Amino acid sequence: MTVNRYTKMAYASADDMIFGNSPNPVKAGLDLEIGGGYTTPEINYAPRPEAGETKEKLIKEYERITRDSMERMVQVGFPSVVLETEHVQQMTNNPTWGGEVANAQKAIMEDYHDEYGIKCALRHTPGDIREDRDYLQLRGEKYNTLMESFEEVASNGADLLSIETMGGKEVFDRAILRNDVPGMLFAIGCLGTMDMEYIWQDITKIAKKNNVVSAGDTDCAQANTAMFIAGGLLDKNLAHTLAIIARAISAPRTLAAYEAGAVGPGKDCAYENTIVKSIAGVPIAQEGKTSTCAHSDVMGNLVMQCCDLWSNESIEYHGEFGGTTVQCWGESLAYDCALMNSALQTGQSKNLRDMMVLSDKYRDPQGYILAYDNAYKIGEAIVKDSDDIYLRAKNAAVECVNLLENADPKLQMTRFEKNALADASEALAGLTDDSDKFMSDSLEQYKEEVKVFRPENYGL
Amino acid sequence: MTSLDLDPSEILERYNVKMEKAMTPDDAAAELYPKDELIRPIAESIYEGEEDDTVEALQKAIDAGKDPIALIDDALMVGMGVVTKLYDEGIIFLPNVMMSADAMLDGIDFCKSQAKEAPVSKGKIVCHVAEGDVHDIGKSIVTALLRANAFDVVDLGRDVPVDEVIETVKKEKPIMVTGTALMTTTMYAFKAVNDRLLEAGLKVPFQCGGGAVNQDFVSTYELGVYGEEAADAPKMAEAILAGADLGKLKEQFHQH
Repeated sequence: MTVNRYTKMAYASADDMIFGNSPNPVKAGLDLEIGGGYTTPEINYAPRPEAGETKEKLIKEYERITRDSMERMVQVGFPSVVLETEHVQQMTNNPTWGGEVANAQKAIMEDYHDEYGIKCALRHTPGDIREDRDYLQLRGEKYNTLMESFEEVASNGADLLSIETMGGKEVFDRAILRNDVPGMLFAIGCLGTMDMEYIWQDITKIAKKNNVVSAGDTDCAQANTAMFIAGGLLDKNLAHTLAIIARAISAPRTLAAYEAGAVGPGKDCAYENTIVKSIAGVPIAQEGKTSTCAHSDVMGNLVMQCCDLWSNESIEYHGEFGGTTVQCWGESLAYDCALMNSALQTGQSKNLRDMMVLSDKYRDPQGYILAYDNAYKIGEAIVKDSDDIYLRAKNAAVECVNLLENADPKLQMTRFEKNALADASEALAGLTDDSDKFMSDSLEQYKEEVKVFRPENYGL
Repeated sequence: MTSLDLDPSEILERYNVKMEKAMTPDDAAAELYPKDELIRPIAESIYEGEEDDTVEALQKAIDAGKDPIALIDDALMVGMGVVTKLYDEGIIFLPNVMMSADAMLDGIDFCKSQAKEAPVSKGKIVCHVAEGDVHDIGKSIVTALLRANAFDVVDLGRDVPVDEVIETVKKEKPIMVTGTALMTTTMYAFKAVNDRLLEAGLKVPFQCGGGAVNQDFVSTYELGVYGEEAADAPKMAEAILAGADLGKLKEQFHQH
């Protein structure tokens, strides 16, 4: 398996990007096509903690979750659905547990498909278990267990394979709390990308062997950490301008999965996915206003702009007034999709897309950059130096800064946000264009500053 | 550009822009620095987060006859006090506090290395991430803020077995224990910590917070006090020093 870099954009212009359509749609599961002209809800859930006590309890819990979800989709007349099972740790650490859960879920989905014809697919996302108490352990024994987990779920009913990998996180956690933009570049753009290339080649091999889909990843561990620390407008933990620079840097890192063989749909919490879609043309999952059950963001409508799957991120399974949580949130997602699909059918999709974008574009620097027109420009900056993982990440950061420094005056920023932006701009301007030098200097610096950083995790 | 356009002020408000203080952080800090010409550079270097400048300024003060241990309270903590005051007022942000805390810790180490006696601790706090949970950025913020407020932190790290927490509390006799967890599946370790502390007769306030942790959950065990923000940790420790018992802490910090 080789890594194939993207050297050009998937779209001739940003305006061609739209929800429910991608240049490279993906067929998966039971008659589902993702990115093939319609959007589909993707329901996410977590078992109640006590269900994790034994394998039998866990399987029962997932059977309830699956049946409830499918039943509500049918009861309200929705034509398609994806279910995503993000593993609790014991399911990945004991690979056969994950396999048995996938098998039980798929049997229920097949029953509904057989009886009602509902198009559906099952995504399984093993946990990134590659760490112990003191260190990340990206390669070695835990890696082997992780691959066994993928093999088990792929051979037992999972249609889409995903993971939220953590490469680079040990350096990132220090960098983000110290406004260290070069550290963020090294952590996400270099270390993260190197780990992605390594693991996604192997996941893709497993997917091909089992005739399932090597779907995609997310920089949840880093860019979402930045977004959550940045928080709301009044939080004072991180400038939102820095959070979006981290996000821009995460796009080439998440792109690496597709360069290593994945085909989409990308993971829901990858807010960088619009940038990724502009380059790779793969279908993407997104989450926003209908994932407030899991977390808040400041661009809940905007991120629907180019989604192919629309997700609720995660919700603990339990009862609510309107049914179980998967039923309530799944129904909300599906109604959003019905609206988007109606817009597609009536030729109004670009208007709906632009209304969703405009409702959030000036709410925050993060939404401003992720709006599809600006996301596309970040994409162009990335492919300019596609063969150099450092330079393309740096390009993404520089373009993000340029776009904010020259932003439409409708985007108001605080003096604090502008100062953080100016500091980041200065730090980026001082960086070398020599990748080898950046890598060797960064290795030396972060080996010294981050006690838990182990270069061998990245083959360095 | 999108084909549609609008005036965003009709649909949203950036309250952070609207509410931003007129004074710049540097101006605000300048008003708070001590006047003593040997102490002020130390406080300034803490605010700037420049470790090398901190040590250099400390050396100058010691050479001029200042006592190294006294400098911890009289200079380093004063500088950190400027930082935490501005952070509490929303004038500076967390990364500034983290960088200042780094400089302060280097400064404390330097002062200790120059002195014969040990400094007196304001209060000891044991911090840990729940057993089974390796997500520790929240704990890193909590420990930095506690240290920034002059508390002595025993940092047990992440994925800490319940037994280790209990043994450490027995040994260190802290005024407070903190636990952070990202995942709902791991936060149940807090209940085990609570039960084992009570069994051992250790009725120490146990501040819990992080990702999936919420007040409803923390309220289910006796020693638990919910910390919604990392910045609540030093406030809770200060309240304990001021005499607040568990009931008062819950009254103050359980806001939902």
